[in-house]
Amino acid sequence: MIQFWRVVTTGARNFTRNMWLSMAATAVMTVTLTIVLVSFISNSALTSTIKGVTNKIDVSVYLNDNITSDQLTGFENQLKADPNVVKVTYVSKAQALATYQSENANNQKLLQAISETDNPLPASLEIKTKDPKNLTSVIAIIGQPANAALQSDPPSYSGTNKVTIDRIVHAADFFKNGGTYASILFIIISVLIIFNTIRMAIFTRRDEIEIMKLVGATKWFIRGPFLVEAAMYGIIAAVIALILAYTLVLGGAPKLASYIDVTSTIQIFKDYPILVIGGELIIGIAIGCFSSLLAMSRYLKL
Amino acid sequence: MQHSCTPTQKTGLKNPANRTTHPVQCVKLERVMILFDRVTKTYPNQSTAISGMNLHIQPKEFVTIVGSSGAGKSTLIKLMTREEVHTSGKIIVGGLDYDTIGPKDVPQVRRRIGVVFQDFKLLPNRNVAENVAFAMEVSGTRNKEIKRAVPKMLQLVGLANKANNMPQELSGGERQRVAIARALIRQPKILIADEPTGNLDPKNAWEIIELLLKINRFGTTVLLTTHNKEIVNALKRRVITINRGRIIKDEEQGRYAL
Ligand SMILES: Nc1ncnc2c1ncn2[C@@H]1O[C@H](COP(=O)(O)OP(=O)(O)OP(=O)(O)O)[C@@H](O)[C@H]1O
Ligand SMILES: [Mg+2]
Repeated sequence: MIQFWRVVTTGARNFTRNMWLSMAATAVMTVTLTIVLVSFISNSALTSTIKGVTNKIDVSVYLNDNITSDQLTGFENQLKADPNVVKVTYVSKAQALATYQSENANNQKLLQAISETDNPLPASLEIKTKDPKNLTSVIAIIGQPANAALQSDPPSYSGTNKVTIDRIVHAADFFKNGGTYASILFIIISVLIIFNTIRMAIFTRRDEIEIMKLVGATKWFIRGPFLVEAAMYGIIAAVIALILAYTLVLGGAPKLASYIDVTSTIQIFKDYPILVIGGELIIGIAIGCFSSLLAMSRYLKL
Repeated sequence: MQHSCTPTQKTGLKNPANRTTHPVQCVKLERVMILFDRVTKTYPNQSTAISGMNLHIQPKEFVTIVGSSGAGKSTLIKLMTREEVHTSGKIIVGGLDYDTIGPKDVPQVRRRIGVVFQDFKLLPNRNVAENVAFAMEVSGTRNKEIKRAVPKMLQLVGLANKANNMPQELSGGERQRVAIARALIRQPKILIADEPTGNLDPKNAWEIIELLLKINRFGTTVLLTTHNKEIVNALKRRVITINRGRIIKDEEQGRYAL
């Protein structure tokens, strides 16, 4: 135990002795861990955004405010009779307003534009189909003059947005892959830089290593400080990267919210801080120790 | 001295009956601090630095090893500290047979032997007390024990007032005292010094030799190599002269003759 602490303090001492090298190595590691974290954040945010987009109902029919319940059930039953229709959901004016308010919770202007007393949002029927690309039969039902008379606005089809949605999905995949590749690339760069830093440390401390050997230090007593030093790059870098990411995500969330769905990411940050912080620290320490071990296996012959 | 030599003795040697050609084998082990039996060391580049050497040094002896440059003095010492591994023969130091130790035991071997070098080998970024403490830290001694032992040792080598100085602030002789203090702090039975006075002026050199004699009086076996003729002749102690890896002279009160 006392040996362990001696190794840790020696490692820390060596870290401060080579301040410039240590800082450079830590900086590279910080960039890497930030990229890893950002790529994780954007992956999870994009994934939930995509889920939101693709889960959208296929057809929305907007109803007049003065529609009777008989007219409504008639229309609903007609739609349900169509074999392509999986589900028809009635959304009342009040529900539409509630959804609108929660979706724009961060935008005061949009909220003020609408109030409960004067609710301009129509009630609607949301139709989920088996095959959203082949809506001819559904369109035919909606287009019947009797049914058309019940509608306040033209229906909206996701089918027409299909191409756009596909493009968004592709772009998101591209970004997700890009994040992963960037993470891998920067992890490799970190490994190389730390490998080199430790290699130089081994060379500059070769007299010291020789003395340690001569007074009877064990292999791990000599190697330990180099591991501690490299792990410190990882730990310090992880802390900086986490502070950056938390301020960015939690602080920038309101601005990002209108573009992508960050709620689930924020939820991960808030609900599993130990997991996020621990994960980042473990990645940092692992990169540091791995590079250090690699350098020692090549340059520290004991 | 008359030693008994029976095959039941645990000498760890191969052929105890062969007493005429190898008198070394007839020495009781507990009376031997360092034992070399037909030891040969050939470096990977095929140069043989020690060839078929027989040597025994008893506890509490003060032995000086002399020989011209390249004779094999440093190699002999490196075999004892296990910096080098012998090619053949048997080495027993302090009762430990070097054929039975693996790479893992090397740190333990070094902790039992104090070593001092011509170039001191002090850690430049640690002060005097920390340099001495270092040998204890390495072997896992508690801080309390280190705090107790280090000042005593600095007192012994006459550096009590320099405990907080850095090595660069010391004279050569003082630096060598620090190295000796570090070598002795674990109370080894053997102190090995490879040209400890090589970098020192005559006055400092003598002070170091006197310190080694004092340590020897306290009961530590001292093994010294040197090129200093005056010192060897004045010591009147056992002198072993080696040449091309062989002992050519071994005298109880030897003189420097090369
Ligand atoms: N690492 C090594 N590799 C190959 N040959 C070596 C090595 N070390 C020493 N030698 C050779 O072994 C022989 C003995 O060297 P050693 O250093 O033991 O001599 P020495 O008696 O200590 O000399 P000096 O008085 O100059 O210190 C020399 O011929 C030397 O060239
Ligand atoms: Mg030598």
